[in-house]
Amino acid sequence: MKEDETILVIDDEKQIRRLLEITLTANGYKVILSANGKEGLVDAATQHPSLILLDLGLPDTDGQEILKKLRDWFYKPVIILSVRDSEEEIIKALDNGANDFLTKPFRTGELLARIRVALRSGNDTPNTSEMTFGSLTIDLVSHVARKNNEILKLTATEFSLLLLLAKNSGRVLTHQYILKEVWGYGYIKQTQYLRVFVAQLRKKIEDNPSKPGLLITESGIGYRFGD
Amino acid sequence: MKRYFGPIKKQHTTHYILSSVIVAVTSLLCAPLANTQNYHVVSFILLFVVSILATFMGTGPVLLASTLSAIFWNFFFIPPHYTFHIEKTEDILIFGLFFIIALVNGVLTTRVRKQKKLVRDRERRTNALFQLTKELSKASGIDEVLTVAIREIKNNFQVDSFFILQNGENILNDTGRLQKEKKLLLAERHVAEWVFNHAQKAGAFTPNTMGLDFTIFPLSGTRISPGVVAVKLNNEFAEDQKSYWDTFLVQISNALEREFLGEMAQRVRFLDESDRLYKTLFNSISHELRIPVATIMGASDSMLNSENSENMQQALSNEIFTASLRLNRLIENLLNISRLESGHISARLDWYDINDLVNKAADDLKEELKPFTLKIEVQDDMPLVKTDFGLIEQVLYNLLINSTQYAPPASEIILSVGYSSGTMELEVTDNGPGFPENELKNVFKKFFRVDGSKTGGLGLGLSIAKGFVEAHGGSIAIENRQSGGARFTIRIPTETPDIKNLQEQEQ
Repeated sequence: MKEDETILVIDDEKQIRRLLEITLTANGYKVILSANGKEGLVDAATQHPSLILLDLGLPDTDGQEILKKLRDWFYKPVIILSVRDSEEEIIKALDNGANDFLTKPFRTGELLARIRVALRSGNDTPNTSEMTFGSLTIDLVSHVARKNNEILKLTATEFSLLLLLAKNSGRVLTHQYILKEVWGYGYIKQTQYLRVFVAQLRKKIEDNPSKPGLLITESGIGYRFGD
Repeated sequence: MKRYFGPIKKQHTTHYILSSVIVAVTSLLCAPLANTQNYHVVSFILLFVVSILATFMGTGPVLLASTLSAIFWNFFFIPPHYTFHIEKTEDILIFGLFFIIALVNGVLTTRVRKQKKLVRDRERRTNALFQLTKELSKASGIDEVLTVAIREIKNNFQVDSFFILQNGENILNDTGRLQKEKKLLLAERHVAEWVFNHAQKAGAFTPNTMGLDFTIFPLSGTRISPGVVAVKLNNEFAEDQKSYWDTFLVQISNALEREFLGEMAQRVRFLDESDRLYKTLFNSISHELRIPVATIMGASDSMLNSENSENMQQALSNEIFTASLRLNRLIENLLNISRLESGHISARLDWYDINDLVNKAADDLKEELKPFTLKIEVQDDMPLVKTDFGLIEQVLYNLLINSTQYAPPASEIILSVGYSSGTMELEVTDNGPGFPENELKNVFKKFFRVDGSKTGGLGLGLSIAKGFVEAHGGSIAIENRQSGGARFTIRIPTETPDIKNLQEQEQ
């Protein structure tokens, strides 16, 4: 399956491009490299990549603008590479349609995991009636979650929160997005709702709620659900 | 003498008329005595009237009154009446004495009065100057000195004043410290500069009017000229007022000079300090950079150039990885300290679960914490707190990494979190050697390193932690524990959410 996955890297730093090329090629992906935004847009249109790694700090155009232009016609996953301490930038990029983000410097293992998650969610939408994460199973038909085969007593809000996170497992979801999806538009500033429910949910689904392994916090940005 | 006769012309004519009238009326009232032998009494009455007049009139009217009374007495009372002729020799003598006594009496009285007024004026001015000096010495900073100066000038001279000061490099800087309401025209600025450069007054009531309707005076301190002051005068200063004004300006100039010199000294101190910091920074940065770079170079070089076993390759890669983590941490610290220095740090508060924060910091330091036992104690009913996740995470990270650098291997590091009455309390405790008691106060200073400390680092971590805590309006403290080791305590005021609402929401 991997042989036909082509990844387009848009980054102005030669050394980062080279590192990504080596790592990605070694892991079986085809790699196209673009050094700036304009080239990147052309490559994205002509080379049909399965995924784009986009650096936000490009010299010629703002990475956010490239992302918006891409999102007019490019529906496959885009992962943002950005420098640390730019939570606002990351949130903006996620709002602009990026699937995920990585902060430089990143570990290549982390990068490959994110790429796998993004490609998987881009390819197949889960068509099963049940999702399993370790000892946790979510029954989509009867709207029930089980932990070690025991039915969890979840409130309606807790369950919709769990469902939203599970359906997007592996992907980072911003606070605002979760609040909008679970509570509605009027609540996107009410982060304390989210915190309280995340804490409650963790107590029910995590093996060790004080060291969560499923519902992971992405500091300053949102949450990621993973197995 | 000039002093007494100088102001005569300025006396009101009404005083002259009044004194003449009073002398005339008195003479008229004494008319019944004209034909008696008691006409000498009239001279005493007239002398008395002249003395009375002298207590409230100027020298001129008093002189007029004495002359007139002498003439009237002679003309109407000394026989033969209605002539200036005096028959008796004793009357000539008395008339002469009368004239002299009237003159001396009148003049002396006015003189005493005048002197009294002078003393009063002088006292008032001395008091005003004393007040000015007191206020000026209390004022700190150029702006306060200016406020005092403008107010006191207004109180004592009833004029508005505008100060234009130099910029510290002997250039008159009319935009910086000129009071807002007054903008100088180009021509006025030229005059102000002329005054500043020549240390001579110019404008209205001076030899160099330069077409201005106000007057610009130079301010000269003993060592530097702080600038100039412009005032709009209605009249030229009187002689005695002029010296009063000059003394006033000297006091103000000295106060301004004091502030200028203070500012300059501070600037020099600041430059010295930043020069020292700059050197320390570069020395330690180059040292701190060189070690991981050397590790990376060495390790990758041997990976490239020699046959290594797989184990060896693995070990070398590990070294490279550790070195790059260290480099990354250094860069983070430098970025953070420069954010703090530039004042760009402001806490972006949002609701957070403190468990998340603590876990994140512990997770980021997984490798470093491996040799230790990290004990995390979070209060059971810990509420959500409003805080800046990134900043507090960095604070905990820096405190934990500090502990890992000093605590003995396999010892316990405790991170505990609690909340009571509006304050979140975070504590990091280790079993290391603690800090030397006399160094405790320096622990949070930039680039501070405990003497002989074995580990690397720039000495920035704890000062960053302090800066970030303070950005939350909180405080950080360090103490050595009785049982050994150091304890950092952070207290941050924070809100907690109204959970009731949420539960209602759920039903």
